[in-house]
Amino acid sequence: MSKTLKIALLSLVALSLVFVLVGRNSGKADEEKVVIYTNGDEEATAAMETSLKDAGYEGKYVLQSLGTSELGGKLLAEGDEIEADVVTMSSYFIESAQEQHSMFKDLSFSTKALEKKPAYYTPILANTGSIFVNTEVLKQKGLPMPTSIKDLTKPEYKGFVSIPNILDSSTGWLLVQALISQYGDAEGKKVLHDLITNSGPHLESSGSGPINKVQAGEVAAGFGLRYQAVMAKESGLPIKFVDPVEGNFSYTESVAVVNKDNEAKTSLAMKMAETISKDAREELLKHYPVALYEGEKVTEKNKPAHPKKYKQPLTVELLKQHQEFFKSAQ
Amino acid sequence: MPDVKPAMRVIYIPILLLFAAFLFLPLGMLFVRSFETADGINLSNYLTVLSNAELMKSFENSVKISGLTAVITTVLAFFLAYSIHCTRLYRPLKSVIKTGILIPMLLPTITFGFAIIYSFGNQGIITKIFGRNLFDIYGFNGLLIGYVIYTLPSAFLLINNSFKYMDKKFIIVSKLMGDGTIRSFLNTIIRPLSGTLGGAFVLSFILSFTDFGIPASVGGTYSVVATQLYQVMLGSIPDFNNGAVIAILMLIPVVFSVFLLNYLEKLNFHYDKFSDIELTQHKGRDICFGSISLLVLIGMFSVFAVMFIAPFLTSFPYDLSFTLKHFIDTFQSSDLTAVYKNSLFVALMTAVLGTFIAFSSAVLNVRTPLKGKSSMDVISMLTNTVPGMVLGLSYLLLFNGSSWKGTFAIIILCNMVHFFTTPYLMAKNSLSKMNPAWEITGILLGDSWIRTIYRVILPNSASTVIEMFSYYFINSMVTISGIIFLVTAQTTLVASKIKELQHFAKFNEIFILSLLIFFTNLIVKLLCDHYQKRQFKH
Repeated sequence: MSKTLKIALLSLVALSLVFVLVGRNSGKADEEKVVIYTNGDEEATAAMETSLKDAGYEGKYVLQSLGTSELGGKLLAEGDEIEADVVTMSSYFIESAQEQHSMFKDLSFSTKALEKKPAYYTPILANTGSIFVNTEVLKQKGLPMPTSIKDLTKPEYKGFVSIPNILDSSTGWLLVQALISQYGDAEGKKVLHDLITNSGPHLESSGSGPINKVQAGEVAAGFGLRYQAVMAKESGLPIKFVDPVEGNFSYTESVAVVNKDNEAKTSLAMKMAETISKDAREELLKHYPVALYEGEKVTEKNKPAHPKKYKQPLTVELLKQHQEFFKSAQ
Repeated sequence: MPDVKPAMRVIYIPILLLFAAFLFLPLGMLFVRSFETADGINLSNYLTVLSNAELMKSFENSVKISGLTAVITTVLAFFLAYSIHCTRLYRPLKSVIKTGILIPMLLPTITFGFAIIYSFGNQGIITKIFGRNLFDIYGFNGLLIGYVIYTLPSAFLLINNSFKYMDKKFIIVSKLMGDGTIRSFLNTIIRPLSGTLGGAFVLSFILSFTDFGIPASVGGTYSVVATQLYQVMLGSIPDFNNGAVIAILMLIPVVFSVFLLNYLEKLNFHYDKFSDIELTQHKGRDICFGSISLLVLIGMFSVFAVMFIAPFLTSFPYDLSFTLKHFIDTFQSSDLTAVYKNSLFVALMTAVLGTFIAFSSAVLNVRTPLKGKSSMDVISMLTNTVPGMVLGLSYLLLFNGSSWKGTFAIIILCNMVHFFTTPYLMAKNSLSKMNPAWEITGILLGDSWIRTIYRVILPNSASTVIEMFSYYFINSMVTISGIIFLVTAQTTLVASKIKELQHFAKFNEIFILSLLIFFTNLIVKLLCDHYQKRQFKH
């Protein structure tokens, strides 16, 4: 072999070695780390991380936050090909993904959940919807105190209401559920239409958008998560929560373990799921004060006045129907 | 030129294979997927997309806002370049303009959006200074500001470069011949620059049309193609086939623009020689252009100022006491430092391998008699055309489910291919200027071809190689459109982490990460410039 060829071949080998190194090793260097995908917001993520770190799992997991719709899309599209080993997500999405792909492993630990649930997930938090108002702004603009969601469709509220969009936010779904349950399809659509008209530019893609706008005083009233209004009130802000006569609807978010071939990793993932569902509960309950397990208690102010459940079980299919309902009301 | 040596083929074939696998194959796949439906190959995906009013609206929006951006950017960039070349501004001021305008290049575009929000938003610095909201930033206005800042450096570099090769003597000649100000300006500045100005317009258009970072942060409800594509691919109901269609449709204006660019090239004037001349005194002109340029710079800096201020305050804008807490927290968070290391690793690997590939390609094309060597030019044309998002998407379609998925290698390769054109052209340009007889001399003296390349050609292009390295490094550090479809939880890069942090509105972390990118790039740039200058001295 000529010298030239030798050098060229050598450099080629070196190059391909580099590629192999880059591709196989560095990319998968963290292979042993458990990947957790979550749609939880800041408080929920922090609570989970604290519990994992206290349990000595620091450096053994990677936590990736995604929007609900993004994570939902990944679950439905990728099934058990998904990168994650542990998923925390709205329960209805986990159920739909399981139905389509049978991608979750039955939990190996037991929990004393108050409500019946399938074996492959356990709830970690629940969210309840309600109306809230900024009393200062209400006074300033001379607006009456609302008692129902329908009140917010009155013309004097035009431009002073903020609501979440069901296309991006699960909180928005709680609103739509309340309207359909109370008023049925035809009237519900009209109420929703008026509500969307009144919100104008304050139709928010994030579930916490309305409470932020109410706190900032940009609008007088909004619909969102009840606990956020309770917390804002506690911190001395001029915020008041109003349980609407249409009802306080809720959804839960749960943790599930993806069924993967790697036994060791899946069992570690299972342990982490257990840590999240048990050790993180105390802190989660502070932020999302809804009792999910036996023995859990919440204070009076965190108990909604009109708790309700939607007549059908929550599924992704139903969500899509309600999204269409929302679109047609726009 | 030396005869064809086996060594040349040994380099040529792998490079060709590399591009076959990571450029032609993915794009081909993308094309096929766009026609693929549940009942075979047909046009129904296209019909679905084309009949989707929302999508068509976003196309219209994209074209509209990119066009407006391109006009504003071209005018501003021209003003700046004119101030530098055709006025007698105070020299240090000129170098401030020349360097200052390039600063946005060191930052990811997604940061621009957040800087705009924190400057012009309800609680922004500039809003506070003026005491009221100047305008609504979410949507059209925010996008426009972001795009202009983003495209201004590239457009400026292009126009500035043409000004360098323009003979300014004609300005004097025209004056002496009795031309009025306007006529003289049109004939001696605008006419010779028309090709370049057109080029700057097209370039700004393409850049804003295909950018993802800015609309992801300040897009609001104003939908553009890039965000639509992201939603279709990674939204609540992912549809890969429709995503492929949108990507193909996104290619159309870009392909058209590239042809336009090649055509505009012909309009460029070529002066036989150009001489440095003393410009005439004109106080009014100098003050006018000087203040406009300064205004542009100050406007730009004021948008970024918040980035350097907010992370040092306890809780901007409510508690303005100084603190280092956010920095300490960030550096202690293993999560964020790991992401930074990932980015650094990807940028370094891209820069080393990318420079190697681009340089080898240029050597093969310019300095060997290989058959089919001009395929390198075709490749560089193509990589110039394909937007990062489209390339990333085509990788996702091709490598999803394979063991390549979720690796750093795929991200590095995507960056290498995505940014190939400019470094390749840099190398080609410098190599073609060298004495073509060097290889023959080397062989006569008993060195093999490879040895000559290594001992003669490479040292003589050291300065260019450093420049290529710096280009690859900085661009890999800041890109988001190219990699947004390819990153996973374990291969998160800073730019995509910023998108995740956006979800929680964690602006301090966003700005600290942006500062990290900024200073890393600044150091690399300064180092590279330093070595480049040393090369020239030798």
